[in-house]
Amino acid sequence: MGRRHPFSIFLQGAILTMRTGTAKAQRYGFIAAFTLPAFAFFCIFTIYPVLQALYYSLFDWSGMSEHKTFVGLDNFKAMFRDPIVWRSVGNDYFLVAGKVIGIMALATFFAVALTRFRFKLSGFFRSIFFIPNVISVVVIGVLWNFIYNPQIGFLNAFLSLFTKEKVDIAWLGFPAHTIWMLLPPAIWAGIGFYMILIIAAIQNIPSSLYEASDMEGAGQWSQFRSITLPLVWEQVKVSIIHITMTTLNGSFIIVWIMTEGGPDNSTQVMGSYMYQMAFRQFHFGFGAAIGVLILVVSLITTIVLQRLMRQETIELG
Amino acid sequence: MRNRRKIGVISLAILLVAMLLAACGQKKGDTASPSASQPAASPPASSASASASAPADSGTKLTGDFEVQYFVGGYGDKWWNKVIDDFAKANPGLNVIKSGGPQINEQMKPRWIGGNPPDFIYIDGAGLNDRQMVEDGQLEDLTDWFKTAKNVDGDLIGDILAQAPQQYGGKIYNIPLVLNSWGIFWDKALFKEKGWTEPQDFQQFLQVGDQIKAAGINPFIHTGKYPYYINGAFLYPAIVSANNNDPSILQDMAANKPEAFRSPAVLAALNKIVQLRDKGFIDKASVQINHTDSQMLFLQHKDAFIPNGLWLPNEMSKDIPSGFDFGFIPSITQDPGGKVVANTSTATVAVAAKAKNKEAAKAFLQFIFSKAQASQWAELSGAPSNIKGDISASNAPNYVKDAAKYLTDPNTVVIPTITYNADVDKAMMDATLALTIGKITPEEWVKRVSDAAAKVK
Repeated sequence: MGRRHPFSIFLQGAILTMRTGTAKAQRYGFIAAFTLPAFAFFCIFTIYPVLQALYYSLFDWSGMSEHKTFVGLDNFKAMFRDPIVWRSVGNDYFLVAGKVIGIMALATFFAVALTRFRFKLSGFFRSIFFIPNVISVVVIGVLWNFIYNPQIGFLNAFLSLFTKEKVDIAWLGFPAHTIWMLLPPAIWAGIGFYMILIIAAIQNIPSSLYEASDMEGAGQWSQFRSITLPLVWEQVKVSIIHITMTTLNGSFIIVWIMTEGGPDNSTQVMGSYMYQMAFRQFHFGFGAAIGVLILVVSLITTIVLQRLMRQETIELG
Repeated sequence: MRNRRKIGVISLAILLVAMLLAACGQKKGDTASPSASQPAASPPASSASASASAPADSGTKLTGDFEVQYFVGGYGDKWWNKVIDDFAKANPGLNVIKSGGPQINEQMKPRWIGGNPPDFIYIDGAGLNDRQMVEDGQLEDLTDWFKTAKNVDGDLIGDILAQAPQQYGGKIYNIPLVLNSWGIFWDKALFKEKGWTEPQDFQQFLQVGDQIKAAGINPFIHTGKYPYYINGAFLYPAIVSANNNDPSILQDMAANKPEAFRSPAVLAALNKIVQLRDKGFIDKASVQINHTDSQMLFLQHKDAFIPNGLWLPNEMSKDIPSGFDFGFIPSITQDPGGKVVANTSTATVAVAAKAKNKEAAKAFLQFIFSKAQASQWAELSGAPSNIKGDISASNAPNYVKDAAKYLTDPNTVVIPTITYNADVDKAMMDATLALTIGKITPEEWVKRVSDAAAKVK
């Protein structure tokens, strides 16, 4: 058996007091030692808050009052009748789609460029592309706010170089479709991490495969399609699911920093609308209901995505 | 053996963590932590607690604990420290607890929810809304008290207030402490240099706006991220002007009466915004920027007028270019010869419905609504207090004196403090912003907002 783990002994003493000595108990004790603490923390910090949110979503509560009124599913009914909720869901999925396409396309492109086309500065560029990942999303939001600023922003100043009149477009103030403008910062901020992930995957591909295909006369494009892409598919899959989940749960930050859901609620996402309703308009129960919606939507989306992408993972034997 | 000891240490650690968690869970509401946000241990609190343990034979009736919650924001906490210390000195039998700080509203929330609030609260800053607190039944009904309450100098408090408390269904729960005003600002120096006339009514405003635009400067900027600035300084005064200077229409709006929003006065006021928009007066940057950015552009002379509040010069004091001279008028939307309308902005004080020491809280109200404390407020916080007469204090800055001139002028309509329902307020903000960028018409504004009001009701 070798040395006995102190935890296993501890738990053996505490939980499985009777059956010390048997190999089975030791095994269970060992497993419990690693799973139970994690499970306990998971319960306290994840399950319990989720249940709390579910509970609050059944009440009409200002978030400050001593008294809550039980309203059953009224918050959910009101939520489904609220056009802003639907717009928020739409905006969230827009960001998911835009980010998945934008980030994956660019991250894959850069990863391939930095590994397959060997050139001198690839290490330098790898660091450059990764920098946005080290910056806090809050800083990114503020930064891009300056880029988009109609009066003193970089974008208008740059465009003004090519026009006679000074360009004064309010990039975050269109009557509709302002959500499009949140895509560039979100994509820019996300590329680095997924690029590194795919670079690592590409580097794991044996070079003999490429050499063989070279001899067969395959060009870069067909090498990418027939070798690189299938062999990094697992990483692409993980990346897509990760982008989807982090966007559905975390799009709040960039929206809140850049537009607070405005103008006129046109860039509202589920997270920002939840915050607005719970803490600015004093409908905590309604906010909790949106929280439950976020949970359900994220779960369903993740499951569906996993099903959709389950096939064709190719592993090297 | 060594393993045994390790186990002991680990289990001890686990036990400690568990106890800590349990403590966090339980004591949430009970840790009063006087002046948690003020590391400089305030001597009065400790001295007061020392004297509290002594028998209260000093002739004062007030005993026990008395806790004050005050948000520390733009007005600072100098005045609160001073006035609370003075009050503690005047009532040696009382153990006064200060709970103040920039995050105090968040920190005290669990105690309000748990039914263990402080005795006295200054309602200001994010996360607090007086109307919501009234609706939640968290504030003491002060209606009867207010009728007869005299301050420490023997003046009837109701007589010396510049603006009356807001009434909720005929009842009073909170009393305005600050008297600030919304209005339109410009730079007198710039106007002098360019030979522009400082406007006194809407017609002059439009005229000078044309001149400003012709000179290549944007006439008007506001903060689209927070449209309550343009609502507070432009729209509401315009509504009152169009309503024959009768502010009761705003009170009806605050009472969520949908028909108030359908009044022709509202439409007339909205059409003034449309005029600004169609003349191209509104800086296109407005829609997406926050208040600081809009104020910066104003200070840099990219824009000539800005709707804002009297705290603006104080807020931007570090960034004001030399020679900049603030001009101010509470409203710009009146017809020629019409009265100026001042939409006040305030922060109020109240007693918790579940206060344990209501006697002390009411005595504190009588203490702070005195002329002496009021002039101290103006001095220490840089904002006019809500006690009549104090606003023209000689040490006040120029723009405050300008404001004082307007606010005390019998020809000025002073809108009493009003807090709208949060849902309706948000609907008005969204709709006004949509109106400024041409997304909706004034009629759609009315429809949207009256629908929101009807839903709340």
